[in-house]
Amino acid sequence: MSFYRVPGKGRVDLSRPVTFTFDGKTCAGGRGDTVASALLAQGTHLMGRSFKYHRPRGAVAAGSEEPNALIGTRRGPGRFEPNTRATVQEIYEGLQTRSQNTCPSLKFDVGAVNDAAYMLFSAGFYYKTFMWPRSFWDKVYEPFVRAAAGLGVCPSEEDPDHYASRNLHCDVLVVGAGPTGIAAARAASADGLCVVLVDEHSEAGGTLLSEPQAVIDGVPAWDWLARELAALKDTGVKVMTRTTAIAYYHQNMVGLCEKLTDHLAQLPDDTPRERLWRVRAGQVVLAQGALEKPLVFHGNDRPGIMLAGSAQTYLNRYGVLVGRRPVVVTSHDSAWFAAFDLADAGAQVQAIVDLRADVPEALMQQARARGIPLKLSHTATATRGRLRVKSIRVNPVTGTGVGSPEVIACDAVLMSGGWTPSLHLFSHTRGKLAWDDDRTTFLPGETPEACVIAGASRGLWGIKAALNDGAAKAREAAAALGRAGSAPPYAVAQDRTGSGVSARELPTDLSPGRAKAFVDFQNDVTAKDLRLAVREGMRSIEHVKRYTTNGMATDQGKMSNINGLNIAADALGRKQPQVGLTTFRPPYTPTTFGAFAGYHRGAHFEVTRKTRIDAWAESHGAVFEPVGQWRRARYFPQTGETMDDAVRRECAATRAGVGIFDASTLGKIEVVGPDAVEFMNRMYTNPWNRLGVGRCRYGLLLGEDGYIRDDGVIGRMGQDRFHVTTTTGGAAHVLNMMEDYLQTEWPDLNVWLTSTTEQWSTIALNGPDAAKLLQPLTDVTLTEDAFPHMSCTTCTVAGMPARLFRVSFTGEIGFEINVPAPMGRALWDTLWRAGQPLGITAYGTETMHVLRAEKGYIIVGQDTDGTVTPHDAGMGWAVGAQKPDFVGKRGLARPDLVAEGRKQLVGLLTDDGSKLEEGAQIVFDPAQAIPMTMVGHVTSSYDTGTTGASIALALVAGGHARLGETVHIPMPDRTIAARIVPTVFVDPDNARIRIPAPETEGAAA
Amino acid sequence: MNAPILAEVPLAHSAAATIRRAAPRARASLRLRGDLAPFEAALGLTLSGRLGSRADAGPREGLRLGPDEWMLHTTPDDLATVTSALAPLYADHPHSLVDVSGREVTVVIEGPRAAELLTIGCARDIDAIPDGAARRTVFDGAAVILWRDSATRFRIDVWNSFAPHLLDLLVIGTRELAAETS
Repeated sequence: MSFYRVPGKGRVDLSRPVTFTFDGKTCAGGRGDTVASALLAQGTHLMGRSFKYHRPRGAVAAGSEEPNALIGTRRGPGRFEPNTRATVQEIYEGLQTRSQNTCPSLKFDVGAVNDAAYMLFSAGFYYKTFMWPRSFWDKVYEPFVRAAAGLGVCPSEEDPDHYASRNLHCDVLVVGAGPTGIAAARAASADGLCVVLVDEHSEAGGTLLSEPQAVIDGVPAWDWLARELAALKDTGVKVMTRTTAIAYYHQNMVGLCEKLTDHLAQLPDDTPRERLWRVRAGQVVLAQGALEKPLVFHGNDRPGIMLAGSAQTYLNRYGVLVGRRPVVVTSHDSAWFAAFDLADAGAQVQAIVDLRADVPEALMQQARARGIPLKLSHTATATRGRLRVKSIRVNPVTGTGVGSPEVIACDAVLMSGGWTPSLHLFSHTRGKLAWDDDRTTFLPGETPEACVIAGASRGLWGIKAALNDGAAKAREAAAALGRAGSAPPYAVAQDRTGSGVSARELPTDLSPGRAKAFVDFQNDVTAKDLRLAVREGMRSIEHVKRYTTNGMATDQGKMSNINGLNIAADALGRKQPQVGLTTFRPPYTPTTFGAFAGYHRGAHFEVTRKTRIDAWAESHGAVFEPVGQWRRARYFPQTGETMDDAVRRECAATRAGVGIFDASTLGKIEVVGPDAVEFMNRMYTNPWNRLGVGRCRYGLLLGEDGYIRDDGVIGRMGQDRFHVTTTTGGAAHVLNMMEDYLQTEWPDLNVWLTSTTEQWSTIALNGPDAAKLLQPLTDVTLTEDAFPHMSCTTCTVAGMPARLFRVSFTGEIGFEINVPAPMGRALWDTLWRAGQPLGITAYGTETMHVLRAEKGYIIVGQDTDGTVTPHDAGMGWAVGAQKPDFVGKRGLARPDLVAEGRKQLVGLLTDDGSKLEEGAQIVFDPAQAIPMTMVGHVTSSYDTGTTGASIALALVAGGHARLGETVHIPMPDRTIAARIVPTVFVDPDNARIRIPAPETEGAAA
Repeated sequence: MNAPILAEVPLAHSAAATIRRAAPRARASLRLRGDLAPFEAALGLTLSGRLGSRADAGPREGLRLGPDEWMLHTTPDDLATVTSALAPLYADHPHSLVDVSGREVTVVIEGPRAAELLTIGCARDIDAIPDGAARRTVFDGAAVILWRDSATRFRIDVWNSFAPHLLDLLVIGTRELAAETS
């Protein structure tokens, strides 16, 4: 038994010893210990260094509000986590922990010079200190700030754990499993409602775990707790421990983070480390309790100085005395009970120092009975002890001022500045807060969510009050769901009710200007900083907060916000609500990225959509590229080929023979109904009335603003049926846009839209031999007369039902064959085999891009950027000017869209034959002064395809009227001159697109 | 119940649930408004139920997805019969019948904890879906139709290209649930 462990006290099972390491030294504890309780049990208070001044710090709390005792935890490669609170982390066999902000060691730290230089680091120091001289920024200040910034060390290895998420629906979610929450869950579940009770601790019970003396309905608290938890389980209540309600989102969705393995020595298979629950609850009962406030006095941050309630928790829950000779400093009755518990467990309490003159007589009697010296109307003014508190200096406070000091030797200081209701989740709901002057704190008011708040989190005190309020509020929640709920009134003996006063920084006889009286322990903000911020003009607490960083640390000011507000309000001479309260934002406690990412990491990070032909491409060595969610084959390199080699070969083969291309990812929409043609007229720029059945047309889709949004070939399969294709990336957007217009603007139209993107596998054949290859496989006569360019039909291809389109995105004879998706691979294999004598070549998206660019066909999203009109793109021909209306028609008439000098799509050929860089800016005069006037940019650029020259498309101001002119593209190393040319580089007369006359056909057959 | 024939080898199996791909079915999206009676007569299916309700007759299953939208499942052979039964109605009762057999695949999730397994990817309250009903919803980011055949048996229709992603999560979840001790 260690010196500070009290036999027979606490819930830690010392018969099941656990060893772990702290800064390399082996430490022992029992099952149920946290790192903090195990270290305190061996007398170690020093657990870390503070963030700014590197002051030695120990645990000041016993729960998740802990600002000081942040450690790094590690269990093998990749499993390292910084900034874990030692007060929450349970120990397990083999756990490795390290202190933080220490260099070279926890006990001797060079960063502590900041502490001596603290006058430099006053409020807003980073706004002031690093201002001058300017030249110091790069070499001195920035490296310093970067080295000093950040808490803990960022993990550098990949996290081997996995993370999970689940959705959960329930009638009532109860947050916090203290007496309030347990009573609430009991009451709410009595009438058959589905209830979930969650608590961040390793076991349910909350305050009851720290107050075993209470007797509830005649049963000792811990027996009552066990009985109630069993009863809740029997009623079907889902009780979740190690589960933090991190956020309250809209419409009663509450995020929970459940930690599943961080307390286990052996990691079980298939079990995630953490699981994020998205709970949608009919009603939420918030029972988060209250958090104790520290007292603000010079030297209130030394190791060994902690919250009185936490000391009581360490004793009663963990069986650990945080000191053998503690002094209690308080302004609230609750700390007196902590003193009594410690005294009863063998500690020699050196004194109870109370700021108040009036303390209930019953408390004083109990103190006297234990022989504890009392110092009422006293203040604490300083402490001593480098790595652990050794003494405290206290002074009497009289009506005229602070009297002479007295130094009391001690090994711990237990402080209590009263309690702050935990309103974090309530604040997430946009709940209004009401200032309570008597209790000097904010209490919950109205909330827009279906939510009640009960117990200590709305300012009630004592176990009986908590139990009965929990039950009452749960009955309110049940009533809102149409149920009665139930719960008899609870009777509690040995309850510890009490009250207190709230203080600003404590009165002192020392210089307040030199006091290190900490308000925010984690960000090292002192009372002096807050007053300085007010002196320098900050009036709102929001500004004071940002200027001083008070409450901006990872603990979100759980301990510091109200103290900070009281001090700022005092400095301003105004009431606290007039100074304001900063809002709390999710998450309640720091949460891992893993928990938020859940299953979405590695191969499951995002959907990768693959076509039915993807496996063929993979087995033929394709290099893929992502297009939207799809992965598409970019090119098919043969042995030793670079991308440029492969693309040149694929381009040449397609122009010379026949190329095969998987176009299945193109978006497809079936438009059916008597008003289909009218719908098409209104959506697309083109006229559709005179498009015959069996014909297709290139369609251009604009936004209301007149800019190009999408395009694709559209076939009229029947009088009332269109087969619309869209770009690969735009498919979902186009369908949504169409449905939007249909449902909101034109509900009168009898037409329906069905996504058929994945109904069809689409294979494109392009090249002079395309018809030759396809003819033997289909019943359609593939001649210029029988099936001219821009025809479509329903037919069979290789015995499969098909929709055949004669279209070309390459300038060659082209077909797109659509077959039911599952048949796609079979058709591809058939065409591949049949094409072998013709030297069929599979090509990817890169070759497709080159071949279309050579013909000046645009790619929406590459040659357009959301500010390009059809006229800018040289496609005014696609706009049905005679049509009464279409989406974007009015937009096209806007003055700036018809103005002269707009950027227009042109071709570019460089004088030296070099390839331009896509995105490169263009200027007219390379000799002009910098910054130059930029007149456009390169949108597409390719190395020699089949034209023997590198070609580019570009948007150039007034480009259509500048054919033949030279423009300049400044690059980092040189400026490239290029000539503006038409966008069509190959076969401007479209001769190649025609299927030659029958004698050639005969030869093919 | 028109249980689809199951592919033989389960994709995942644990004490919690078994995941299988269903055998291919013919599917068609039926869109129409106005008088449902002629369509009900032609199909032999009730179409007028609440959204999410199902009706079946012989090989055919009909699911009402929206005020003017139904999903029909049947055997591949029967789809031609359905098409020709509805075609004569078009002139007086315009509608849209689009074959989407190739668009989707069906996954069968069966087992004592099948409903719980679905909570890893679906935000809907699974327990609130009655047996014999179905819902269009989202599973792990993919639009799906979720059919509840019984307390312990579900089907998910999902577009083919999303299926591997969805199955991947179901396989992970099947193991994860089985590993839970309490």
